[in-house]
Amino acid sequence: MSYLFYPGCSLHGTAWDFNESTRQVIKALDLQMPEIKDWICCGATPAHQTDPLLSLALPAKNLVAAKDSTVAVCCAACYSRLKTANHHIANEPETRKQVADVVGTDYDGRTEVRHLLEILVKEVGLAKISAAVKNPLLGLKVVCYYGCLLARPPQVTNFDDPENPMLMDRLLRAAGAEVIDFPLKTECCGAGYGITDVKLVKRLSGQILAMAKETGADCVVTACPLCQMNLDLRQSAIEKDNETNYGLPVFFFTQLLGMALGVSKSALGLKALVVSPNELFAARGMGA
Amino acid sequence: MTLQVKNADIAGDFATNVEQLSGSRLLSCLQCKKCSAGCPVAGRADIKAHELVRLTQLGQADEVLSSRMIWECTSCQTCATRCPQQVSVAALVDTLRVLSRQQQKTSEQTTLPVFNDFFLKSALKHGRVYEVGLMAAYKLRTLRLTEDMEKLPMMLTKRKLRLFPTNVPGAAERKRLWKRVQAAGGKRP
Repeated sequence: MSYLFYPGCSLHGTAWDFNESTRQVIKALDLQMPEIKDWICCGATPAHQTDPLLSLALPAKNLVAAKDSTVAVCCAACYSRLKTANHHIANEPETRKQVADVVGTDYDGRTEVRHLLEILVKEVGLAKISAAVKNPLLGLKVVCYYGCLLARPPQVTNFDDPENPMLMDRLLRAAGAEVIDFPLKTECCGAGYGITDVKLVKRLSGQILAMAKETGADCVVTACPLCQMNLDLRQSAIEKDNETNYGLPVFFFTQLLGMALGVSKSALGLKALVVSPNELFAARGMGA
Repeated sequence: MTLQVKNADIAGDFATNVEQLSGSRLLSCLQCKKCSAGCPVAGRADIKAHELVRLTQLGQADEVLSSRMIWECTSCQTCATRCPQQVSVAALVDTLRVLSRQQQKTSEQTTLPVFNDFFLKSALKHGRVYEVGLMAAYKLRTLRLTEDMEKLPMMLTKRKLRLFPTNVPGAAERKRLWKRVQAAGGKRP
């Protein structure tokens, strides 16, 4: 199977560990996923808050560059923007024309966009992944946190059940982890407000961390660079505000899957995690 | 909340315009409040999601365009997902943000538009967002110089910050694209 990869700005910056662990996972599973040549920013939240046409034109430029390949995405926000652009361009002839006018190329909105979780679970398949697991994550208790934009709105992303997505749960189970039911798996972490309104992020992310702790999980697994940053980087400040201690490592799903597939920890960017997982690994016999 | 509504405003075309710009069928709203029940920021909002719809229906442009709510909505899409009438408050909010800036009615309590402008400038100039440059520009403009600075050494050792931007070819073309977008005037395609 071959795909073109759209990493997005975060995976080339703050979430470099998501990028490196993704490369390791796709290598271990014999997938081909070169980057789209000269990809540019999708515009993220600032574009759709500022100008509706810009918010469709930037994703369209990348999707035109991908031509007929299926585009693979890891960042939930990029995924949402690319899918939203496709949704409007494919269904609204007037939109298609306006986007073509500003981008300079007519684009039909039909280039396939998939999140890596969809590719792994729906296309590669759990049977193949289970067979490739060398070090099952036995005894590791995880909660899967999907955030907002993978499953919502369902008519745009068509990812999984919008209230109770299971793709990541099933993947981590195939990797041998004990996946605990998580009631807040699609609640908002505060998204991009970390810079402009940190109080909001601390309150929303705090609720997610408190619930994760309540379930008895060892750690939180995420599929979005912004969710991961809010839960990990802001965790100590949230602990201080709430006068408590969560001590929950917050992984990208590719980091734990990579470990299960036998990739060395140093190649999975675990050093980038702010809440260190070392103690947890030692306690679960997942050392070396 | 108590609404004070002027007849003249109701008779205006604000609601129809916003419906058209947002593509959201606001007039179908039943006021069931399911949007506000699931809204992550409802607890602190000056105008809650269902109230935003009602005020828009009633032509209360000043009230909604100068609200804090339109800059606190996280665009989480829960309202749009759960609405039994397929109204998208998230889409409504995006339209109100654009109108709020066009008509210079943006609440003084938000710095989000400043952040957005620097973000888009960085994305269009370099092709990809240069986080260090973006943060420096935003902090200088808003004078939030100390916030989060204690995290800087840790973020550098964890390689989370790149010291130099990546420049993707095509800067001139991206500039032309932005000019063409601006010429189209913020209209929903």
